[in-house]
Amino acid sequence: MNILFTLGAILITIGGICDLFGAIGLLKFPNFYVRLHAATIGTIGGAAVPLFGVALLALGTDIPHKYAIAGASFITGIIVLLAAPAGSTALAYAAHKSNTVEWKPKTDHLKEAKK
Amino acid sequence: MSSEVVILMRIILPLYVTAFILYTVRAVRGPTIPDIILAVDCMSFDIAAFMAILAVYFKSTYLITGAIILALWAYLLDVYVANHLTKKEVGV
Repeated sequence: MNILFTLGAILITIGGICDLFGAIGLLKFPNFYVRLHAATIGTIGGAAVPLFGVALLALGTDIPHKYAIAGASFITGIIVLLAAPAGSTALAYAAHKSNTVEWKPKTDHLKEAKK
Repeated sequence: MSSEVVILMRIILPLYVTAFILYTVRAVRGPTIPDIILAVDCMSFDIAAFMAILAVYFKSTYLITGAIILALWAYLLDVYVANHLTKKEVGV
């Protein structure tokens, strides 16, 4: 067992645990804006970290085409790292602007700034 | 080295499958449209990661190409739904 395989396995296990916590949070939190927090755990911790882990894990094994699998999963990890926060921000802006979400905020700075 | 991949798969498979089931429950139950889109978005990114793990498990290069497309598709879904909610049109 070499060092790359061990590091990749540890990253994939961390990703699985983050994924489970993000899913529980997405199910249990009260409204959409709080659920965005759990969704960030589910995407960055649950998808980007295991993809980098798969890149290291594939380099540590001796399967055929291991460089293709490692490179493609590394690129997918970078895509997730860039695309997930951008998509979540666009969705939160759209939800606030179209007033579809029911919530009881103490202060709403975005609505105050619009006035 | 393949036996260690099998042991790793046996550890992480329940975590990922439980997460997928919980995301599906939120996607079905979700009271508003942004909740449904957020759950489908998370599930798509996590299926992309799980597909990369399956590519190592099955020693296949074809599964990893689907992961790239799936990650880009989830971002596209977010942007189009945000456009539809703000402007009432899908600005393609």
